[in-house]
Amino acid sequence: MLRDVSLSVEPGEAVVVTGGNGSGKSTLLRIAAGLSKPSAGTVSRPRSVGWLPERFPSGVRLSARDYLRHQAAVRGVPVRWDLVEALGFVGDPDAPMATLSKGNTQKIALVQALTARDLLVLDEPWSGLDVAAASALRAFLASTTAAVLVTDHHGHDLPGARELPLGATSTGVVIELARVGALLPEVSALEGVLSAAAVGSGARVEVVATHSDQVLASVLRLGCSVRSVRW
Amino acid sequence: MVTALVRYLLADVLRTQRWLPPLLLFGAVLAMLNSSDAGPPLSAYAGTCVFVYPVAVWLTIVIATAEDPVRRTVTVATAGWWRVHAAVATLSALAALFVALLATLAPVLTQPRPYPLSVIAIGFAALLVCGLTGVGVGVLCARPVVTQHGWSVLLAVALVFAAFLFGQVPPIGNVLGALGHDRGIPTALTTSAVCALALTIGGTWLARTLGPRRA
Repeated sequence: MLRDVSLSVEPGEAVVVTGGNGSGKSTLLRIAAGLSKPSAGTVSRPRSVGWLPERFPSGVRLSARDYLRHQAAVRGVPVRWDLVEALGFVGDPDAPMATLSKGNTQKIALVQALTARDLLVLDEPWSGLDVAAASALRAFLASTTAAVLVTDHHGHDLPGARELPLGATSTGVVIELARVGALLPEVSALEGVLSAAAVGSGARVEVVATHSDQVLASVLRLGCSVRSVRW
Repeated sequence: MVTALVRYLLADVLRTQRWLPPLLLFGAVLAMLNSSDAGPPLSAYAGTCVFVYPVAVWLTIVIATAEDPVRRTVTVATAGWWRVHAAVATLSALAALFVALLATLAPVLTQPRPYPLSVIAIGFAALLVCGLTGVGVGVLCARPVVTQHGWSVLLAVALVFAAFLFGQVPPIGNVLGALGHDRGIPTALTTSAVCALALTIGGTWLARTLGPRRA
C-alpha cells in the first residue's frame, strides 16, 4: 500500500499528509502512531504519542469526564480541561459519551490525543468541528512543542506546515463544468489541462494546479458554467 | 501505568454490562449446586471447577473486547501494545480470582458439612487454577488473536469442551480427577498452574504480536 516513504517530523514541526482516497494516508499515520507494524522499514517514535482516529466510535458508555480522566491517568498527566473549554465543548461531561453529538465526541477524542507531549498523530482532525473549534485547534497545533502529523481532506490552513503528498496522482485540480457541449475540444486544448471527459452535457476536467486559475477564467469566457472545483 | 490501565478497563467494562450474563449464569449454577447436599467438600469443589473454567473464558472475552477496535487503537497509542494486553490479562485474572473466591465461600456458608481450612485452601487453589486456565483460553479466543465475534464464540466453546473430552489430562481434567479421588492434588495443581500461566502469558504474547499486524 505504501512504498518508499521516508518522513521525519521534528518537535514543534507540523506535517500535513495529503492524497486521494486509498493513497495510504491513514496507513502511514497508523504506522507513525505505533498501531500497525510496517512490513518493511523502521520507525522510531518518542514516548508520549497521541492518536486521533478518523472516526471515534459513537457508542462509548463511559462519560467524557471519566474517559479523559482515565486516559490522562494512563499517561500520568493531568486532564486538559482548558483544552476542552477552548474547543467549545458543549454537552454533559458526566453523561455517557454515546449521548454526545458527533462534534462534541470529536472534541473529547481530540483533547485525549492533544494531551500527549511528544508526537500528535491526527487523522482528519477537522472533520465534524465547527469554525470556532477549528481555529482553536489550529492555534493549538501552531503553538505546540510536539511533533504534529495530520491528514487533511479539506485544505485547512495550518501555518508553517510542511505538506507530504501521497499517491501516484498528480496534485491536480478537478473542475466540474456544466454547459460544455461542443466546446469540449476547446476546453481540452487549454494550457494546463491534463484530461477532459464529457459527463452528460458537462465535463470533468483535470488541471495542473498551477494553471487552475487561468483555466477557470478561460472556460468561463468560453461560456461554460463551473459546478465545482476540488483539489 | 498498568494499574491505571486496569482501572480504565474495569470502569469501561462495568459500564457495558456485558459482564452480567456470565456472572448471572455462574450465580445460578452456584445456587443450584449448593441448594441441596453438594457431597464431600473436595468433589463438590471439583463440580464447581467445571463451571469456573468456562465462566472465566467468557469474562475474559468480555474484558478483552469491551473496547471496540477503534477505541483500542487510541488506548494502544497511549500505552503501547504490551501494556494494554498485560492490563487485559491482569484484569481478567482479577475477575477469575473474584469468581474463584465466590465459588470457594459459597459451600462453606451454605453446606451443613464441615469445611476444614485445609480443604477450603485446596478448593480455592483448584478454582483459581481453573479460572486462570479460562483466562488463558479467553485471551486466545478474543481480539486481536481472533478478530470476528462468531469465530471467538465457536473457538471458545470448542476449547472449553476439549478440556473435558480427554479425561484426566492437564490443565482441567487432572484437577477434577485429583479432587474427585483425593489423590495427587498438589502435583495436579502445580502442573495445571504452570499450564494456566503458560496459556495466559503465551496468549498475551500472541495478542501483542498479532495486534500490530491486524490493526
